[in-house]
Amino acid sequence: MANLSIRSLGKTYPGGVSAVRDVDIKIQDGEFIVLVGPSGCGKSTILRMIAGLETITTGDLDIDGRRVNDLEPGDRDIAMVFQNYALYPHMTVRANMEYGLKNEGLPKDEIAERIAEASRTLRLSDYLDRKPRQLSGGQRQRVAMGRAIVRKPKVFLFDEPLSNLDAKLRTQLRAELKALHARLNGTFIYVTHDQVEAMSLADRIVIMSEGKIEQIGTPMDLYLRPATRFVAEFIGTPAMNFIDATVGSDGHSLQIGEQMIAADAPIHAPAGTLVSVGVRPEHLHRGQDHAMHVKLKTGFVEQLGADTIVHGEASTNGTASPLGVRLQGVHMPEPGSELQLGAALSDLHFFDTASGQRLNT
Amino acid sequence: MVENRPFLTVLTHAALIIGVLFLCFPVWMALVASTHSADALSSSPIPMWFGDQGWQNYSLLISRGLPEAGGVPLGRMMLNSAIMALGITFGKIAISIISAYAVVYFKFPFRMVFFWMIFITLMLPVEVRILPTFDVVTKMGLLNSYAGLIVPLIASATATLLFRQFFLTIPDELVEAARIDRAGPLRFFWDILLPLSRTNIAALFIILFIFGWNQYLWPLLVTTDEGLYTIVMGIQRMVNSGESLPVWHLIMGTAVLAMIPPVLVVIAMQKLFVKGLVESEK
Ligand SMILES: Nc1ncnc2c1ncn2[C@@H]1O[C@H](COP(=O)(O)OP(=O)(O)OP(=O)(O)O)[C@@H](O)[C@H]1O
Ligand SMILES: [Mg+2]
Repeated sequence: MANLSIRSLGKTYPGGVSAVRDVDIKIQDGEFIVLVGPSGCGKSTILRMIAGLETITTGDLDIDGRRVNDLEPGDRDIAMVFQNYALYPHMTVRANMEYGLKNEGLPKDEIAERIAEASRTLRLSDYLDRKPRQLSGGQRQRVAMGRAIVRKPKVFLFDEPLSNLDAKLRTQLRAELKALHARLNGTFIYVTHDQVEAMSLADRIVIMSEGKIEQIGTPMDLYLRPATRFVAEFIGTPAMNFIDATVGSDGHSLQIGEQMIAADAPIHAPAGTLVSVGVRPEHLHRGQDHAMHVKLKTGFVEQLGADTIVHGEASTNGTASPLGVRLQGVHMPEPGSELQLGAALSDLHFFDTASGQRLNT
Repeated sequence: MVENRPFLTVLTHAALIIGVLFLCFPVWMALVASTHSADALSSSPIPMWFGDQGWQNYSLLISRGLPEAGGVPLGRMMLNSAIMALGITFGKIAISIISAYAVVYFKFPFRMVFFWMIFITLMLPVEVRILPTFDVVTKMGLLNSYAGLIVPLIASATATLLFRQFFLTIPDELVEAARIDRAGPLRFFWDILLPLSRTNIAALFIILFIFGWNQYLWPLLVTTDEGLYTIVMGIQRMVNSGESLPVWHLIMGTAVLAMIPPVLVVIAMQKLFVKGLVESEK
């Protein structure tokens, strides 16, 4: 299979929209990379530049050490699965999968063999003679995957392939996709705006914002050590809470309202710097005996059975900021009542309020 | 507007039936008249039901042409009309689908200029540009030839526009999928665009065939050779056949025969057309 090297890639659309800037990613052979970020951040643009469907404005793209900037999509040895499937509506499932292979000029028996194998893998054998419109959304997307698989490409590209499906099917196909990746051992580059999808599929996640990479890392890197406030907010549901603080005069502590917290490591910012202290809803616990505490004035309560999510306002620190907590099991706090909560030092994330950069190591 | 009131049902059906009768009446008259003798038609009241001369009339028409129409056999005129109509139809479809393909899928300098030029010719039907066109055809030596009958009528802004609008509805992803599948421009056109345009082509075929079949003014101008007369011209010549009274029973018979090819085309294409509509891809 293949490794990819993307070096200071940039895209400016005609009309001057700078959609992607300075993107550097090294992708190993067989890796499952997920590009994730809010709508309009340039994920599709990157994918389409890798595919060759958009020209590359600046930078280099190598597949297996060969610069492919100027190659046609058909010559790059990639396959792509689109959000709306993009199957040829007038061709049968078999013809859809065959088309690229025929254009490549593969011998007939080779084509037949590959299609038999792919349709076995994707459980499409019974539908080979149907037209796309006679299939359900999930089946269509499997055909689109089949069309990609049979080509045995170096790189598989997916642009939000599951977004048009309902939640249950999405979960099912997600599992199939992961299994497919393990089986094919191919290099997958997958675009989604759904962070749960990103977390569950990726070997490494590339998280983007406004055309630039915010952070590249394994799902747990991103969850445990988000590099910027943007990443911290994007990964995890409900989103991370932020409480305002300032760096204390000794450079080792934080002042949150009346509360002083001694950090376990130096904070890389001068005294007086404004800091956003981040803590995930699942890392807040009831009780007094924690490094940091906060009082929650209960508002909206989501009873999910396994968890209870309580939304409200952090009311003790002089500033009122929204706060959410995920409590295990069933809880029934009175609306308007106060919950005493706290978090361990190791679960706190410090971000420079001005730049959004992470301050604690 | 799906209402279910008996009164409305009766009313709408009555309106429809009246409309249909109104439309069909001339056709009915032609059919009836073609089965009577000349005498029966020249005395009033005009018969409203079939006569007994049908067999004679039609066999006369088919077997030996009419002296009143310059003696050109009917078969010959039908053939000329068919050649002209098919030539125009195929020519128009081929040219317009190719130009629409160019305008939609290729970026070349002055693309929009070309598009607007095509668009503007919409406002100039043959009748408006007939003198310059006639001049060009004369200078090219195409008078009295099938080429002269067909070529000037082929350029079609309407069909180009129709194909353009259709191509614009084809999702970009389909084009991109084809690019990834190594389909070059010609393959894409042949394997994907053309099959997807089936329904449009069938609909256009009907319209254009009838348009070509019914051409009157242009053939009248460019043909002086009787061997190239079309059936529509033939009917007209029978009506204006100088001293003698028009032979209405034969004229109507010719009209009925002249209707057959367009009807056949509609029936043949309708199947494809309706199938395309029912199967319309999501
Ligand atoms: N063809 C184009 N011409 C001009 N600007 C474009 C074009 N395609 C995309 N853009 C712009 O580039 C930016 C990135 O678009 P892109 O499609 O890559 O976003 P995305 O991250 O895939 O978003 P989504 O999650 O909504 O699909 C957007 O601001 C968009 O408006
Ligand atoms: Mg996108």
